[in-house]
Amino acid sequence: MIPMSFINPLSDEAKQIVREEKVDLQRIYDENDILIDRIYSIKSQDTSDDAFIPRNYADLVIKRLEWYVEKRSNSNYNYRKFAFLFDPEITKFDLVAFYILCQAVGLKFGPNSRESRVLVELQGHIIENRLKELNLNREVREELTRRIMNELIVQDRIKWTVLSDLLGSKKIYLHDLVLKDGYIILDKEVFIKHFGEEIKHRQPEKMYNLFIGNRVKELIIIKMIMQNTENYIESVHEKANIIEPNPTILKIADEVTEVLSKEIKYYGSSQCSGPRGQIKPSPLSVDKFPPCIKVALNGIKSGGRNEAIVLLLAPFLSYARLNPHVFGSNTSLKISDLDKDLKITKNEILPMIYDAADKCSPPLFDDQPQEKVNINAKLGFGMHSELNLQHEGETTWYTPMSCEKVKMNMPSLCKPDDLCKRLKEINPLFYYIEGIKNNLE
Amino acid sequence: MFRQATLEERRKYYREEWEVKEVPDFILDSIENREFGFDHFGRGPNDRYKVFTEPDYLKRFMKSKTPFAAYCSVAYYEKPRKRAGWMKSELVFDVDAKDIPVRTCSCSNVCETCLGEAKEIVSRLIDTIKGDLGLKNIHLVYSGRGYHIRILDKDVMKMDSDVRSQVLKYLVGADIPKDMYDDGVAVYKLEHFSIPFGYPRVFTERIKYAILHLTPDSKLDNVNQKLMEDVLKHRKLLEDDEWGLFKNRIGPIRYKKVVSGIASLNMGLVDAKVTIDLKRILRLPSTLHSKVSMKCIEVKNIETFDPFKEAVPEFVQDR
Repeated sequence: MIPMSFINPLSDEAKQIVREEKVDLQRIYDENDILIDRIYSIKSQDTSDDAFIPRNYADLVIKRLEWYVEKRSNSNYNYRKFAFLFDPEITKFDLVAFYILCQAVGLKFGPNSRESRVLVELQGHIIENRLKELNLNREVREELTRRIMNELIVQDRIKWTVLSDLLGSKKIYLHDLVLKDGYIILDKEVFIKHFGEEIKHRQPEKMYNLFIGNRVKELIIIKMIMQNTENYIESVHEKANIIEPNPTILKIADEVTEVLSKEIKYYGSSQCSGPRGQIKPSPLSVDKFPPCIKVALNGIKSGGRNEAIVLLLAPFLSYARLNPHVFGSNTSLKISDLDKDLKITKNEILPMIYDAADKCSPPLFDDQPQEKVNINAKLGFGMHSELNLQHEGETTWYTPMSCEKVKMNMPSLCKPDDLCKRLKEINPLFYYIEGIKNNLE
Repeated sequence: MFRQATLEERRKYYREEWEVKEVPDFILDSIENREFGFDHFGRGPNDRYKVFTEPDYLKRFMKSKTPFAAYCSVAYYEKPRKRAGWMKSELVFDVDAKDIPVRTCSCSNVCETCLGEAKEIVSRLIDTIKGDLGLKNIHLVYSGRGYHIRILDKDVMKMDSDVRSQVLKYLVGADIPKDMYDDGVAVYKLEHFSIPFGYPRVFTERIKYAILHLTPDSKLDNVNQKLMEDVLKHRKLLEDDEWGLFKNRIGPIRYKKVVSGIASLNMGLVDAKVTIDLKRILRLPSTLHSKVSMKCIEVKNIETFDPFKEAVPEFVQDR
């Protein structure tokens, strides 16, 4: 039987295994013969190069990350190099590696870091691939899903509201679920009872398999485990304030950064891959701005002035000018890390924002002068009327809102053109990067 | 009727007609946790952060100030006077008759026709809220120019803006359902209209409503005049749910354009800002919408509700 913990590293079974392992953190770099033997015994594993084989727990942690980075960015990704990751034989070691990785990320970077986002996503992909590549027969796979689901969710019927964390973080979409009276339909009999008579020209069983089947259940368990991983990282991070981190864990954290730096070139955001290729911070090219920004720059004639100027323009212009690759890199940078004396901000960015505010009707600052303070706040300089270095960090430098948020808050600004559509309307900043990049090519 | 109320009329309304017990219980029961806001001069609500610890204080305030408009928060706070200690918020959908993206009247403000259409849309939204989402504690309020659907089910009141925006998109049919499905063995192409359950069914209903309410002047993204004419010419087929025939007449590529144009239009059925804002203030039911001289009131029965009978203050009848 496939152990439940191979799929859900946060299950009680998994925790028990890890406890029994009694891993000594000082020795996670020591060669582990049992692990090495096990991996050599896996038939589909490519053993032609010793470098493919993790030799200890620490190695296994790094190999997990390397798998993810390679799979995303290397078109010649070789599955056989990482076959061990998909063999239940390694469950015990894999669990330890999972916990070491979560602790390293939790202690050093915290739940809102890019490292944490990658780790959560990586875990989701690992589960997905494991389920797929286990090559189980259908019943075994369904039975495994059922067992995991039972552990994750206690009641027999699931309300959609239980998944609100997953919905909010877009790990799952409401429109992917079949709902009836507030419950998510997962069971075939229940599905047929409710919709059997409505379904014409097709077999209800077949429709069930297409729309729900095991797929939705697997989706829910994957997303729930991702969410639980995120929660675990957060709980580790909270403890970081009271417990002195183990130096070995911090060493692993540094290695995590190193592996991910390879990926930084490609990484878009947790939800999507943004435009690839780098552009350097440079003076703004207005003709490369997306349609929504162009409209906002010309002033808003009615309703939504504040949102357009303070929430859309200020973050967009500041990031487009100073840190266009914010979603692919470190989001904790401050404006002064990139514009030391704030000259660019004061001479290039603010004038454009103020100019757009002036073009609104009525002009924004005439009747709402406090919005100037709000703009400073969105740039990270606290609630002050002057942009002053000593106040920096009192608020966070707002990242540009997504296309979805623009649509929600300012539907009249969103007039997608072909490039918007090609970039799947994810973030106005991606449009700008793409435009600049094409110009350079 | 839809003309602004004079100061005299406002006074008459609050002093002779309005009673605090007409404020719905779902608000009075939580009065001490809500923020109140007022517009005294018809220039928007700028007297905010008001708190009334009991209905009597609200009554005294209204009778003496006779505001142009009165609002209260959808949020519950531990310290409403500071708008601090957010506890939870009602889940709200705001359908304003004047902003409905497709309406068959061409009035410049609101009229009987578009108010009727707003009511129809609201009634469909409520069906989905109950039938699919299983929510029960639903209060419908006639706002004076449209409707507020205010939901107080415990499970939804703590939800953040992102979840609310997903719920909104589901209800209005703003996302185009996928059309390729696989069961692990083969991939099948299925159109939204051939799927009588889940989100595709909601989407189909919303698209149908929109197409049947288009006018020759309606504008859809990427839909030119010729295509619009063809849609109008063949839309009768949809009255009998002949989707396959309709799609054939329009042509599959052009059909896609129409569907995607309506999906983005649907986003405008509800004012999204109101739904995702956790600290919004909404017009207080029982009070006067002075701009149009109508009462904002809770609707007990949507089937029989007629704003022109139930939301007209006495002073309008005396005019």
